Amino acid sequence: MHIVLIVLTIIAGMGLSVEAGILGPLGNVVGELWATLSIFGVGAALTFLLMLFFSPRQSPSFFKQPGWQLTGGVLGPVYVIILTVTAPVIGIALTMIGILAGQIVNSLAIDHFGWLGSTSRRIDKNRVIALLFIVAALVLIGLG
Amino acid sequence: MTLLMISLAIIGGALLSVQAAVNGQLGNKVGVFKSAFLTFSVGALITALLIFYFEPVQPVSLMEVPKWQLLGAMCGVPYIVIMVLAVQRIGVAVATVAVIFGQLTMSMIIDSYGWLGNEVLPFSPNRLAAVFCLAVALYFVYKGNQNTTE
Repeated sequence: MHIVLIVLTIIAGMGLSVEAGILGPLGNVVGELWATLSIFGVGAALTFLLMLFFSPRQSPSFFKQPGWQLTGGVLGPVYVIILTVTAPVIGIALTMIGILAGQIVNSLAIDHFGWLGSTSRRIDKNRVIALLFIVAALVLIGLG
Repeated sequence: MTLLMISLAIIGGALLSVQAAVNGQLGNKVGVFKSAFLTFSVGALITALLIFYFEPVQPVSLMEVPKWQLLGAMCGVPYIVIMVLAVQRIGVAVATVAVIFGQLTMSMIIDSYGWLGNEVLPFSPNRLAAVFCLAVALYFVYKGNQNTTE
């Protein structure tokens, strides 16, 4: 059972790279913003259906939440536009590793300072080491 | 140019982790599908507004490209669903490592063969060394997560 789930999760990760791989060339043809719209438009349609059929019935309304907690969607387009711009120039692998480095640095900072309402956790030595290796990987792939 | 693009990708990753932190809290309250729907629909609205006011006329429209080029979201949305299923059963750490492993293998394959209309970036000793560095990094991410969940 666990093996099946792990394989599924690996496939999910592959899906993310395929998504980035499709976006770059598409953005070159129809423009970055249209390519971004193709992701969010189809994504909104799919997740609406998922929400309609599978969401718990009594979940609280969006309007009961503080406004800033609803801003996750504002950052998404910026991320997708960045993917569309960078992938054709530096390749998918370098793009993915760059994103990974940004994620780790920032999640360290968010945890350390307890930003965005998360509980503050001190900088973890393991994640700093991980970050160093990711930077090394970035440099190696950047060299070609 | 390359450096600028790498910095952009790093900024993209930083934004992604802010988004994850914000959506994580929302998801806990309203459920994952509802928060995913909010993310995509707000994203679509903002992109539509940007297109409306800033996008120059393009020679080719989305309706004219081969249909497989519109499948990007079909590859991204399953990620959300699978993560919900997997994280509960195999834990965040293993799920994170598995996703990143999948991302990297696939991105190396796409680059090496130039799939999906991308440029060919051949596999080299440096790329192999990078994979090794990432494997080490993943091990430490895994170890770090284990410490925090215990």
